[in-house]
Amino acid sequence: MNKRSTHKSTHGQAASRGRASDCGSSEHSLHRRLFLQGGMASGAASVASFNGLFSIPAAAEQVKRQGKKCILLWLCGAPSQFETWDPKPGTETGGPFGAIPTDLPGVHVSRLMPQCATIMNKLAVIRSMKTKPSEHFQGIDVLTRGDAPRPPFTRPILGSVVAQQLGDLDSPVPQFVLLDPCPEGNEFKAFKSGNWAGWLGAEYGPIRAGGEYSIPNIKRLDSISELDHQDRETLRAFLSRKYENDRKSEAAANHNAAFHRVAGLMSCAPLFDLDKLPEKDRQRYGGGAFAQHALLARHLIENGSTFVMVANGMPWDNHVFQHEMHQMLVPELDNILYQLITDLEDRGLLEDTLVIAMGEFGRTPWLNEARGRDHYPDAWSMAMAGAGIRGGVVHGATDEFGREVIEGHTDNQQLFATIFRALGIESDEEYDLPGLPTFRRVEDGVNPIEEVLL
Amino acid sequence: MRHGTKLIPIAIYFFTVSTLVFAVSTVAAQDSPSTTSLTSEINRQLSNAWKRDSVNPAGPCTDREFVRRVYLDLVGRIPTIGEVDTFLLDARPDKRDHLVDVLLDSEDYVQHFTDVIDTLLMGRADEGKYKQRSSSQWRSFLEDFLRENRPWNEVAAEILLARPDGDSNRGAVWFLYERNDNHQAIAESIAPAFFGVRIECAQCHDHMNADEIKQSDYWGLVAFFNRSKNTKTKRGPRVSESAVGGFSEFADLTGDSYPNLLSFLDRGPVKEERPEAGKDQEDADELYQSAKRKDGTRIPKFSRRSEFVEEVMADNPRLALAMVNRVWAILMGRGIVHPFDEMDSVHPPSHPELLQVLADGFVNSRYNVREVVRWIAKSDAYQLSSMRPNGVDDPATFAWYLERPLTAEQMARATQLIVRGQFQNDDPLIGSFRQQFRDVLPDTFVAPVSDALYMSNHPTLDQYLADSNDAQHLRQKLMQLPDHSQRCDSLFASIFQRSPAETERKAVENYLQQRESHLGQAIDQVIWSMLTSAEFRLNH
Repeated sequence: MNKRSTHKSTHGQAASRGRASDCGSSEHSLHRRLFLQGGMASGAASVASFNGLFSIPAAAEQVKRQGKKCILLWLCGAPSQFETWDPKPGTETGGPFGAIPTDLPGVHVSRLMPQCATIMNKLAVIRSMKTKPSEHFQGIDVLTRGDAPRPPFTRPILGSVVAQQLGDLDSPVPQFVLLDPCPEGNEFKAFKSGNWAGWLGAEYGPIRAGGEYSIPNIKRLDSISELDHQDRETLRAFLSRKYENDRKSEAAANHNAAFHRVAGLMSCAPLFDLDKLPEKDRQRYGGGAFAQHALLARHLIENGSTFVMVANGMPWDNHVFQHEMHQMLVPELDNILYQLITDLEDRGLLEDTLVIAMGEFGRTPWLNEARGRDHYPDAWSMAMAGAGIRGGVVHGATDEFGREVIEGHTDNQQLFATIFRALGIESDEEYDLPGLPTFRRVEDGVNPIEEVLL
Repeated sequence: MRHGTKLIPIAIYFFTVSTLVFAVSTVAAQDSPSTTSLTSEINRQLSNAWKRDSVNPAGPCTDREFVRRVYLDLVGRIPTIGEVDTFLLDARPDKRDHLVDVLLDSEDYVQHFTDVIDTLLMGRADEGKYKQRSSSQWRSFLEDFLRENRPWNEVAAEILLARPDGDSNRGAVWFLYERNDNHQAIAESIAPAFFGVRIECAQCHDHMNADEIKQSDYWGLVAFFNRSKNTKTKRGPRVSESAVGGFSEFADLTGDSYPNLLSFLDRGPVKEERPEAGKDQEDADELYQSAKRKDGTRIPKFSRRSEFVEEVMADNPRLALAMVNRVWAILMGRGIVHPFDEMDSVHPPSHPELLQVLADGFVNSRYNVREVVRWIAKSDAYQLSSMRPNGVDDPATFAWYLERPLTAEQMARATQLIVRGQFQNDDPLIGSFRQQFRDVLPDTFVAPVSDALYMSNHPTLDQYLADSNDAQHLRQKLMQLPDHSQRCDSLFASIFQRSPAETERKAVENYLQQRESHLGQAIDQVIWSMLTSAEFRLNH
């Protein structure tokens, strides 16, 4: 165990929303006062001013002093447990790929995962996931937020909770980043365009990047000076916050939170520039958005992000030609996981960085007529490594055909309690929001899976 | 009269009260036969519900709030300073009703609702596709529908039959044609666009939550359209239809298969002879009507599309329910069923009786969309303050006017009007904004950071402001004014339709004062800061 102080969790209530960061240089603060007349400036979002190049080594040094981090490889569409963590070689449901031994005696994984087979001592695999939703939208909701909707709350998504609990929200580096080839939606737009931060408030929502590996419109136009660019934003924030405060408008709060992030994001644009990373690293992770985004996730975590969710559209939903598709997808995942976990370890970051790889459910033991596997929430697998997680553990089991969980049944609540515990976040914390019934971060007081925790 | 690309003249009087003329161009709207207003019915039902549920609604909005709101909602733009003043000075007790009527008679209503309905039926698209929607006359087909108060049931039938009999409705084919023979995409868009339901989930199995939506509905709807094929003819794009084929089986999750019978929701199956499995039908001439059409396409004697229009769509109550719920959502910020295109058993209406009354009234008005807009816009609930009253937090009560983001088109028109004093519906600003701000009627407004970055750093808006330097443009008019105080008044009147508060005045005046050496740029920056504020971004 390391000896850094545990992060005190702050209750992320409405009261803490709209907190203005205080990181503008004194020069600019003074200048702002000239037209905002002192007291008024407090009503405006202060504008972060970060001159000069973002110093990556210095930031990395700072990161090492900070708390825990998390990378979620979001396998959207839902991968097959049979072709990954829970192979059933030689059975009618097992598929054609067979199983290989791993560095853990007696534990096998799919033949499609030869690299992960060598680092199972670092991984905790849960083979006994059993959840309720069998539809993507509901499944994604439950497995990224931790539970089914409970109106009128919108439960915040995992990344928002972690960013709010563990993140440094005054940092210019975005605390919660979503990387996806189409981060605004396309596949499952209804989910991607939904309210991710929920009741935490829009400032805890993700920064979306990807596709071209950079954030569009991140550079200031030449036609406006840096000072004017900052000052017009200060004026904008002042006028717009007045509207927000006068009306207690949630829509305006969302709008203002988005603008509030612009300056900080602009200052750390180089972080999102993959060209700045060694070519060797880029090759090691492999081509394609998912691999490059995983590398970028490592880079962001190294430089101060708290939660990075790497999604890749939803390629795993193989209702058609499942074996052919998984034959391409699983080896890519195998390599990415291997590179990511060993990289984090080499850099001394694995201890503090939780890596999660999972989708929203599993796939059917049987094939449909299109030789696809359909949705199957009854018995599926996921894997974790790093912060707070005990490596070399396989939790739970399914029957010989993978139809039923026969041991260690784990649902979404237990999984989230485990994730929160691993990150040092209180899973049972209560929330009292004005006018709404009490709820807890994980409902029903369920216990985490001790077996996979340090 | 076609207005797709025509400049609509708007008289702007920045600094004087206008001469009490509504300078919107008007068109002669056909009066629909004996339409009874349902405004009082809306008022009665909502106030009963408030009483029943002990909800204290917000107070009525002010005239100033109303005039901005109603211009945005009915004609897709903010009012000019002259139009605001005209309305405020109007002494008639029924001036709000009067303004609603005036706006609904204008061509701007037609253009705005065409934008909205196009997005709801077709979705956002890249600019190349928008060009096709114009050149195919899809756009003008929708404009005619709204301008001439054509009955929605007839228009819907023309769209799905997609067999134009003349030039006037040849744009009708584009709904199917743009989907490019993707029959599942066609089915998945017909269900929400015309019937107010989403069926995507039912592709692989019966809907998990809404029991009434079956896998057979999904594949049945596909089957009605899977003999259709895009065909280029001398008379333009057409969607031809084969008399044979289109039989398949779909498998459920357990692997059992079923034939894709011609049925959808509670209609059908329509009788049709199915060939034995594995046997091909001959595509014989006698299966087609003998008379060839001018465009060269043939019509099958048994046309699945005709069957759909006659057996599924005709008199289908869902058609009216879906449209009134959608119009309600456009004006009230959310549907009586919410989300407005998920009218299934999982999403019950908040005011079932009201929904039914509106649907019946819509049918009685000969499916006249403009009348539904009128009833709602004149209602008390539409004219409530947008400040949520204490102790009420359920937006489904409609106890306050729900804030909503402007659409890209509303923003682009309003921006032109503010900065240049007039607007064009084909200005490049519209194309730029709609590629960035794609949402229309979002379930919830989540402002993405990418939008803030776009406004902060994309050249579109900055360049537009820099290029607006003529004498009649806002910047030059402000430059001519004697002091910052008047500049500030004019900025707030033009952009926010109100006077500045003292703190606001100080901030803006000081900002300008500090930059007197480059006042033109400073004015642009203030305009930018107002156009990017929440007060402008939202209708309220």
